[in-house]
Amino acid sequence: MKKTMARILCVALALVMSVALLASCGGGAKNYAENNTEYFIGATGPLTGDASSYGISVNNGAKLAIKEINAKGGLNGVLFKYEMKDDQATVALAASGYDALYEAGMQISIGSVTSGSCEQFASKSEENNLLFMTPSASTASVIENRANGFRICFGDPDQGVLSAQKIAAEYNKIGAIYDTSDAYSSGVYDAFKSEMDKLGKTFTVKTFDKENNKDFSAQVEALKDCDVIFLPIYYTEAGLIAKMAASKGCKAVLFGCDGFDGIAGQLDATVTNKIMYITPFDVNSTDPTVKAFVDAYKAEYNSLPDQFAADGYDAVYAIYNAMKAANVDNVKISASDLCDIVRAKLTESTFKFKGATGEVTWNEKGEPTKVPQIVEFN
Amino acid sequence: MSTLIEGLSIGSVYALIALGYTMVYGIAKMLNFAHGDIIMVGAYAVLTTMSLCGFPLVAILVAVVVCTLLGIAIEKVAYKPLRGASPLAVLITAIGVSYLLQGIAQLVYGSASRPVTIIDMGNVQIGNSAVRVSSIVTLVVGAILMVILTLFIKMTKTGRAMIAVSEDRGAAELMGINVNGIISITFAIGSALAAAASVCYLFQIPSATPTLGSMPGIKAFTAAVIGGIGSIPGAVIGGVLLGVIENVCKSTPLAPFTTSIEFGLLIVILLVKPTGILGKKRREKV
Amino acid sequence: MTAYFKNIKNGFKPKNYINYVVITLFLIISIISQPKTSTTTLLANMGFAIILAVSLNLVVGFLGELSLGHAGFMCIGAYIGTFISNQIFDAIGSKLVVLILTMIIGGLIAAIFGYIVGFSALRLKGDYLAIVTLAFGEIVRDICKNIPAFGGAMGLKNPHRYGNNLYIVAFVVALIMLILIQNLIRSKHGRAITAVRDNEIAAKAMGINVTYYKLFVFVLSSFFAGVAGVLYGSFNSIILYGDFSFNKSIEILVMVVLGGMGSINGSILAAALITFINTFLQSKLPGDLSALRLLVYALILMIVVIFNNAPALHKYKEKYSFSALFAKVYGKITDKFYAKHPEKKQARITDDSAAWNRVPSKIKMDEVLSTDILPDDKNNDTDTEDKRDE
Repeated sequence: MKKTMARILCVALALVMSVALLASCGGGAKNYAENNTEYFIGATGPLTGDASSYGISVNNGAKLAIKEINAKGGLNGVLFKYEMKDDQATVALAASGYDALYEAGMQISIGSVTSGSCEQFASKSEENNLLFMTPSASTASVIENRANGFRICFGDPDQGVLSAQKIAAEYNKIGAIYDTSDAYSSGVYDAFKSEMDKLGKTFTVKTFDKENNKDFSAQVEALKDCDVIFLPIYYTEAGLIAKMAASKGCKAVLFGCDGFDGIAGQLDATVTNKIMYITPFDVNSTDPTVKAFVDAYKAEYNSLPDQFAADGYDAVYAIYNAMKAANVDNVKISASDLCDIVRAKLTESTFKFKGATGEVTWNEKGEPTKVPQIVEFN
Repeated sequence: MSTLIEGLSIGSVYALIALGYTMVYGIAKMLNFAHGDIIMVGAYAVLTTMSLCGFPLVAILVAVVVCTLLGIAIEKVAYKPLRGASPLAVLITAIGVSYLLQGIAQLVYGSASRPVTIIDMGNVQIGNSAVRVSSIVTLVVGAILMVILTLFIKMTKTGRAMIAVSEDRGAAELMGINVNGIISITFAIGSALAAAASVCYLFQIPSATPTLGSMPGIKAFTAAVIGGIGSIPGAVIGGVLLGVIENVCKSTPLAPFTTSIEFGLLIVILLVKPTGILGKKRREKV
Repeated sequence: MTAYFKNIKNGFKPKNYINYVVITLFLIISIISQPKTSTTTLLANMGFAIILAVSLNLVVGFLGELSLGHAGFMCIGAYIGTFISNQIFDAIGSKLVVLILTMIIGGLIAAIFGYIVGFSALRLKGDYLAIVTLAFGEIVRDICKNIPAFGGAMGLKNPHRYGNNLYIVAFVVALIMLILIQNLIRSKHGRAITAVRDNEIAAKAMGINVTYYKLFVFVLSSFFAGVAGVLYGSFNSIILYGDFSFNKSIEILVMVVLGGMGSINGSILAAALITFINTFLQSKLPGDLSALRLLVYALILMIVVIFNNAPALHKYKEKYSFSALFAKVYGKITDKFYAKHPEKKQARITDDSAAWNRVPSKIKMDEVLSTDILPDDKNNDTDTEDKRDE
């Protein structure tokens, strides 16, 4: 008897707790930024899990930018606040992370790090008309048809087309390896393939799935005799492929896209293959802006920045510069109002942004235009 | 030819991991989901020692010692209190241990993948294809370890005690076998094998990440089941089979479906032979 | 007819229905309080988690087979549901109608796969079956990832997101599922299922159609997992194969195990609690500390499981566990009450709760947050204790 009643008591208590929980959550739509004392830039990204190295890099870059901006006194004396919520590259956590940020007073954001999460982030921010400037979600559709969406990195298709043109012009025996489990890799590869078809060039393609397998012996073995291997993948796997190619005696040039940045740290003396990649950011560049960023990053985190960190850094600065140019002076401005102002500024034909990833202008769709450089070594 | 040898060597990595799974399962009757993460710890141990002193042999020894101690510690702290509890509770604790190790690795080493080069051994020419020496070494090391393990279990007193515990724990206890001690030894051996596996893994894939162990762990578990979980030759056969199939699949147009093919094969084998290739038939008692 | 109602009247036990009442009240309160978006997201995720955990409990707790691939069924539901909704949305136009239609279709297709997996359950047992379910989950994910119509690695986009009110649908579905499953468990079919769990051979000897019940449970469980997947898909604007990984299956299993195997209310509470804790930690902890979150989660998981299950800790558990403390506090109150009104104590003796305690398929509310599958003598102990103070 005692137990039965205890059970009922238990359930009743659960009910009371849930009522208390919900009662504290009331309230409809409103401007959550009205209590802000600093401009709030939000973001979500993978800070734990398999993709976390990208998220942590972007986060570090963005934090560095905020630190510099605040050290200079912020915008008209108002400082900036920045926070990235962990989404583990899943859509469910991107949604709850977005909600938490928005209700904490987020006024503008640098979106999400990975393309999938960013799609979720974008669709939620579209409902609230909150501007996002994604540092690294390169899938074309993330900002397509979204007035509030901007991007700082190259879109996947542009890189694929550019690589195809470059490779087709210079090499004959062409191979490619891409990651079927990765949106970035598949996106670049699809564009590459259709451009190659257009150019009438043939090539051999091998795939892998980084989630399940990182042993590249079979793929490299099959492409051993190629002049060039196109690798639209990230630097960690590219580094493994380079080492595998070296140990298999494959002499092909390894040609990559912006994901290659950081590959130098993955290689050892055995790798003698020529490595080329298209990137807006080169860590060894002598350009003063880039050098300043690289030095500051090294001083702050004791490691070299990669392209994700540079994109995160630039995304924050792009927002800051646009806000500065538009003379935003109300710290309690709602996300929607700020979005309209910043969007107008960013899409102005005279607005140019110069950051660690080069000089950028944005078109009406939010796509960036910037000059790619080709980095090569070995 | 080289595809086959590479497949065999990745297969022997799986086999080494699967041996750990299968021994722990056979003797402690639990699925040690943290086994894959012990491999990850081994890889980081190699990474750290290599950057400190640079002698491959020292690094390998350190990895073996670290993994063995870790295996014993995990067994004492997380699994021993649960002896006699439901197997599912132990499974969940094992998952907790796995998350814990991954979390610690991420805090200490960061989440970016770190290149680890133990030693570069170059190539040999077999037929008309170049085969990496490291693959052959992996294959040989794997084979030697398996033979030693089999001999250990068949020939030594401890080994026979292990068999006794796996057959009937209660009866073994009555015969004066220290069951807890045997289980600890099993974990120690399993973890030492995991360390060997992590060294072989680094020969194949020279980079370390905090989640490095999870997929090879699941694959090796699959291999252990294919061979018949609890059976040592079964684990070897399962691991090698899986490695070869995986590598062959990767060089065909079916490459994107490699995982499906591997797991599909598992299901087919189990449906035909419900306790795996070399699994013992269990008699059901009423 | 009158006999039927009389039966219902006699068999009516408020505690069997209290979870419907609690969930309905919870839902009504949340609708009235007009929650913020973050709360609706949390509630919707809770709803999905409840459906997933209870449906997995059907397999793990009641049928007694370990399944490590529950997220696979969810994956099927999410992809199929979103795919179909993208095809038919313009023709139908109403979000709710589309959602209901896709829930049925997605659930049925997941159920077909559940039938296939259940088929292997006929031949395999224990860990072998567990690995087949794991393999199934991975295969489903791998194939969904490689189907161009499902968007490949880029994910399947869902332009017709249902919106923030989805939590109402999720909770209504959870309620419907609860009514179905609780009635099933308390019926003769439910007793047959638990009989198969407790001893398959004995059950067979008693004339129970083991094949039928095993398949039935797998089909039912995967149906609801598929429905949860459809709901999940309609709540998000993109479906990523990565969301249905092995870790997701484990997360659902953790809910079931922490809530208590074979305890439906336990699963509900654990699902709600774990979802809440995860979201709470995400929203309140600064993002830079998220690596710590993983550690904290792992530690809590280990400590809770060891505390609840370690045989050496049983005596502490009986003293300090959640329900034990409750019983203690409540016992003091009732003792005082009965000291004043001894006649009321007499009147309660007819209650057959002690007999109910011995029914193996009973819903153990006191297993909230505990995982014990104790030997029978422990249950008997509590029974005698009950009798003593009555």
